[in-house]
Amino acid sequence: MLFCSTTPLLLLQLCSGLSLDTVRDFLTREEDTIVFSLIERAKYPLNPPAYYVPAYFAGRRHDASFAELFVRESEAVQAKAGRYQSQQEIPFFPFRVPFPLAPPYNFTSELYSAAAFVNVNDEIWSVYFSLLLPLLAKNGDDGSYAATVASDLVCLQALSRRINYGRYVAEVKFRGDQQNYTTLIRNKDKDALMKLLTSEAQEDAVKRRVQKKAMVFGRNVTLDGPVETGDSNNGRASFKVDPSLVYKLYGQWVIPLTKQVELQYLLHRLD
Amino acid sequence: MAEQLSLAAVRGALIREEDSIVFALIERARRPRNAPAYYAPDAGTDDGRSLAEFFVREAEALHAKTGHYEKPEDVPFFPQDLPSPLFPIKGYPKVLHPFASSVSVNDAIWKMYFNELLPLFTVDGDDGYYAETVALDFACLKALSRRIHYGKYVAEVKFKDAPQDYSPLIHAKGTDALMNLLTFKAVEEKVKKRVEKKARIFGQNVTLEDGVDKHEGSADDSECKVNPKVLSELYDRWVMPLTKDVEVEYLLRRLD
Repeated sequence: MLFCSTTPLLLLQLCSGLSLDTVRDFLTREEDTIVFSLIERAKYPLNPPAYYVPAYFAGRRHDASFAELFVRESEAVQAKAGRYQSQQEIPFFPFRVPFPLAPPYNFTSELYSAAAFVNVNDEIWSVYFSLLLPLLAKNGDDGSYAATVASDLVCLQALSRRINYGRYVAEVKFRGDQQNYTTLIRNKDKDALMKLLTSEAQEDAVKRRVQKKAMVFGRNVTLDGPVETGDSNNGRASFKVDPSLVYKLYGQWVIPLTKQVELQYLLHRLD
Repeated sequence: MAEQLSLAAVRGALIREEDSIVFALIERARRPRNAPAYYAPDAGTDDGRSLAEFFVREAEALHAKTGHYEKPEDVPFFPQDLPSPLFPIKGYPKVLHPFASSVSVNDAIWKMYFNELLPLFTVDGDDGYYAETVALDFACLKALSRRIHYGKYVAEVKFKDAPQDYSPLIHAKGTDALMNLLTFKAVEEKVKKRVEKKARIFGQNVTLEDGVDKHEGSADDSECKVNPKVLSELYDRWVMPLTKDVEVEYLLRRLD
């Protein structure tokens, strides 16, 4: 774990070794990031014009929403700065950049290269805008479309990172039980693989923990006395993001999509 | 924000911005210092800029094209040669003096953030994720800049509440006297305590074992992702003083 002192520390990064523990630590830390990003998005109302297609600007019509245009352009800037060089993050709109301006860094690759491309960014995009946003943000339009979509991008990146991390989860599981997995992969036995990848007890713990984080991070912190815990008549109104929405997000989308990634990765693991 | 210019609305916005600042710092603290992101090479790149500066300039150009810098609280770090908005902008009620848009303390914020603040809450080390790092820096800078430039609204509200107190000082260009009038030590102490508490609560390690109120009173600060004392120091030494600088700078031109 990282401490907040100034002494140099050993960092639990992929390059120092992939294990079930490092993978779990990463996923657990990513929960905080996801909850923060949802809370920050919920600061703005829905702002529907940001998502209308087509978008009009500079006198031209674009067959994409303002949100999509903004994300494309942002990812291009980030790519120029060297993002997406490690395999850990995958852009929503792949962009070929010949000369990243970032100082070079030798990232070790822990993933099997033929399977590293596996991702579900298209599904994440669609779930986020069609299903999650309407539940997350209040109705309304305050005109701050750029800030709104910038915060959408942060949510998307966090969800994408977490869900596509399934590749690392799958890699660790594969290495831990190579014979068994190899047989199932050769037989393309998706059901059996999915069974191996599923632990209901663990998934339940994850959902409950992330729901709790939404309660802790989304509360209204004041200096007077104990803070509302949400079980009084105030209920959910006192949280910036509905904790049960976060529970649902993980249960219906984050965990299943992560397992999809794990499965797809494994199916390519012997290519 | 501008729809309801009252002290309550302004205080509410400032309080909400505390959460954003704490979240942004916690997220940045996930990565080590990553010093190469801040080197400005003397040769090689076009103008010898650091990756951080390159990224912020490009990101701001994109934000400007989308009309992000129209409101007084949204101030760019590199205002020269920003492109004009390409998207239709929704109008908003103008409640501040027109001079408000030219008040900026972003140079001071930039220096403070990279030279003083970063070393306080990031660990030494280099994980190579420079692009992610500077994106996180940008989020911190934006949150800090927003909070500090809300001072324009604070100043307007205070002026409107007591123009007879402020006008003579403005005419006399009494910077110190204005600063005195704007300072409420008791409020500042509360702000420091509250932001420290937020760092303690939001930066804790949440597990299923403890109750939800675990870190309400005392907490083991070394377990927090950002040391809560860093937040109170940040507000005490920089955020609140810089906000008051904005307030004074705004007020000095308020009667123009």
